[in-house]
Amino acid sequence: MSPPEPAMKLELFDIQGIVGRGYGKHSSAAYLLLEVEAPALARRWLAEKVERVHTCEQTPDPDVPCFNIAFTHAGLEALGLDAEALNTFPSELKEGMTEPQRSRALGDESGAADPESSPRHWDWGGTAAGQRPVHLMLMVFAPSEADLATTIAELSVLLRPGGLTLVRRLHTALLADREGGVREHFGFRDAISQPGIAGLHRTTSGQPLVPAGEFILGYENAYGLLTECPRVHHSLDPDRLLPPAEFGTHDLGRNGSYLVVRQLGQRVRAFWQFLDAVSRDPDGVANPQRRVALAARMVGRWPSGAPLVESPIEDDPTRATDNSFGFHQSDPQGLRCPLGAHIRRSNPRDSLDPAPGTAASLAVNATHRLLRRGRTYGPPLSTTFDPDEILRADEGDERGIHFICVNANITRQFEFVQRSWINNSQFDGLLDETDPLLGTRRLPTGRTTDTFSVPGCPVRQRISGLPTFVVVRGGAYFFLPSISAIRYLASLNS
Amino acid sequence: MVVLRDVLAAIGRDPVANPLVPFGDLTGLHYGRFVILDGAVDPGTGRTVASSLVFNCCVDGPADQFLQALMARAGSGLWAVFQHCSGAPAPGEHGELLAWLRRHRIPTQTFYVNTLGRTVFQILKEAQLRERIEGFLDRKAGSTTTATSPSTVRKAIQQFVRGTNDLAWAMRPEPPLPWAWRLRDGLHRIGGLAVGLLVGLLALPFVPLFLVVLRRSEINAPHPRQDPNFRLSQFNRRQLSQDEDFFIQNQFSVLGFIKPGLFRYATLRAILVVADFVVHHFFREGDLGTVPLLNLHGVDTIHFANWIVVDQGQRVLFLSNYDFNLEDYMNDFINKVAWGLNLIFGHGVNYPRTDWMVFGGARDEQVYKAVLRKYQIRTQVWFCAYPDFSAITIQKNAQLRAGLFAELDSAAERDWLALL
Repeated sequence: MSPPEPAMKLELFDIQGIVGRGYGKHSSAAYLLLEVEAPALARRWLAEKVERVHTCEQTPDPDVPCFNIAFTHAGLEALGLDAEALNTFPSELKEGMTEPQRSRALGDESGAADPESSPRHWDWGGTAAGQRPVHLMLMVFAPSEADLATTIAELSVLLRPGGLTLVRRLHTALLADREGGVREHFGFRDAISQPGIAGLHRTTSGQPLVPAGEFILGYENAYGLLTECPRVHHSLDPDRLLPPAEFGTHDLGRNGSYLVVRQLGQRVRAFWQFLDAVSRDPDGVANPQRRVALAARMVGRWPSGAPLVESPIEDDPTRATDNSFGFHQSDPQGLRCPLGAHIRRSNPRDSLDPAPGTAASLAVNATHRLLRRGRTYGPPLSTTFDPDEILRADEGDERGIHFICVNANITRQFEFVQRSWINNSQFDGLLDETDPLLGTRRLPTGRTTDTFSVPGCPVRQRISGLPTFVVVRGGAYFFLPSISAIRYLASLNS
Repeated sequence: MVVLRDVLAAIGRDPVANPLVPFGDLTGLHYGRFVILDGAVDPGTGRTVASSLVFNCCVDGPADQFLQALMARAGSGLWAVFQHCSGAPAPGEHGELLAWLRRHRIPTQTFYVNTLGRTVFQILKEAQLRERIEGFLDRKAGSTTTATSPSTVRKAIQQFVRGTNDLAWAMRPEPPLPWAWRLRDGLHRIGGLAVGLLVGLLALPFVPLFLVVLRRSEINAPHPRQDPNFRLSQFNRRQLSQDEDFFIQNQFSVLGFIKPGLFRYATLRAILVVADFVVHHFFREGDLGTVPLLNLHGVDTIHFANWIVVDQGQRVLFLSNYDFNLEDYMNDFINKVAWGLNLIFGHGVNYPRTDWMVFGGARDEQVYKAVLRKYQIRTQVWFCAYPDFSAITIQKNAQLRAGLFAELDSAAERDWLALL
């Protein structure tokens, strides 16, 4: 079932560390969004930093800060990458996340008159006039906030003389729970199910390993093919910093990948308020049990993380990290975990065509996996994630998640999941509903998609009037180059 | 041509209710589209093909009856469009234009219909039925508990439908296709199979020769993997995607040259004839390409599709009406019915290299996707009578209506309620 070891051993020394791990033991992290103002200086800064970029080969020392680095297409251009080479990047990277047609397809420009998630309103990476372009993203991980500050200061000292300007600093704050897991702001354990990479990861968390080429360029993907790589003409790489590729080019992509970054603001109080209102007893009295059960049905797991397909009636913390389940055999109609639940939409496992419940379906599912590497930001509304406490709190600060995912083919992986699963209002036979947590509530034609159905006996229960719980605040597509590609970029002269 | 594009753009902005050709007013019309086929030079023969305009409608009932109704409703609008075609009659009697249109009607070589016999009227009213029943259940939600039996809920739904005047039609099942049609269709199936068997037997001795010629052609034909730029390109994506992803359904039109030589042309023509027969008789209930015996899983997201040989046999035009977005569509075909794509499109110029006509080809994922975008052309006008419904939803609605007053045992009753 699990794919064979890749024909070629992964060149871990050349792959940035974020591909292999989320640096979970580094409790503090920040993402620095930078603009290149003086390319020559920026390249020199890059040349100095490249040897310190953390790789997959190094075991992260939780006491030592480390960083990774990614570039937007505009950033590669600003650094002076040749136009022909720039043109070999995939369309989605070239056009960017905010290209109008793409915004419509992703649901950011939905059918509302002035959608809140429109790139016009983004805090960064958006289309508002005067917004600074994002060229680089520095992902910094440290054992503590103090170390983080020191590391950033040290990296930033040379920023300005390095020809780089800080556009925005994205703060993060891990939400640790008492059970040793991490939560997201609605209060659910997160980051349980991650695809394992064949040849890199051994533990599979109960699911088959995914071919390395789905996440790292230069290796076989789930179709047994090599995902197309960006490349440069050999004459532009006289020092042979990059490996040779077809057609007399050198491979800029090998050991690299792509990052999708989206800042997703979460309306935590609104989420629980809505659930509270629709789960009350007929006499109007709050029913906390029904409230959390409905929330769990929207997520597909209980707050502890226990999957509904395994514990349909109540939370079972002993199953908190269970991931070795499918949907089709035990729950084809969604009576345990609704067909439209978030985890069933974002990773349907064996539940869809060509033949639900079989290896054929798992094989197709493997072509749409994302390695999630993001972190939450903002203070929690309740440190115990207790809905009653959240309901009493004041929404106040901005909070949410910096969604970051690694994938080798943005269109087939991230964009597909977002369009065809999360925001598909007729996903798996459903009608007029999108992902209960993330989905848009209106199609481009104006048709509303604000319902959520909970299959049941004798008949489904349908919740309607779901407000928007998650708003996009910023985002961009990045190229996550290999170490040698960073060296190459640093060596450019224009 | 510029003026024609403007006219079509005006229609395309509001295909349902524009004053020229208000597609929404035409009964029995599932899909309508205008597509301009730009002239080009055949890379194989060097011959030039002229530009042309295609008007395609997928309708219930006889096409000629539809044409007459169309002319009556939108005659002057059609004048505004077709006056830009060479040889079109001068403005005047609608009868002349009608006759001209009939003369210029070209056959579809392969015509795929998701579910044969399901009319626009049925699709729309069954969607309405579903909506009304869902609304009824939402209002009744408070009085239904887990202790309520399925048959009680179903009876309540039946009673609701009985008591609703404008749903009276739902108390009877959809009438079957006329017996005369079914008889003709049955004879066509038997006759077709007999002729197919006969031709197959006669052709048998030539199979080795055919395979040799085929293999040589496959090995020698240039293919896009050899072109460094081709593979990375999402040709014209921005221009094409401006018409996509508004509804649950999408469309595309693809136009390409057939590989040079009589061998490819003849093979393709033969395959299109067989494909037309096979999809009509064996893939007529929503699943294109499902063959359980061969463990082949089909595609259930295509509503109507046309394969049309145009330009005196030099080019093939493929028109599709499908669910969700293009990436979905392409993945679906690559994952499930690459063999079927290869059989037909493998004869096109620049298609990814096939092996023995069914292997390879579309399985070269990114190259295939680039090929599709490269040969996709803009559809100037696209109308769909039910763009908000996927084929699966339409199918579920039909099952809901079919089972509403049918005799069901308790298991079937639970399954029926699960449709909601």
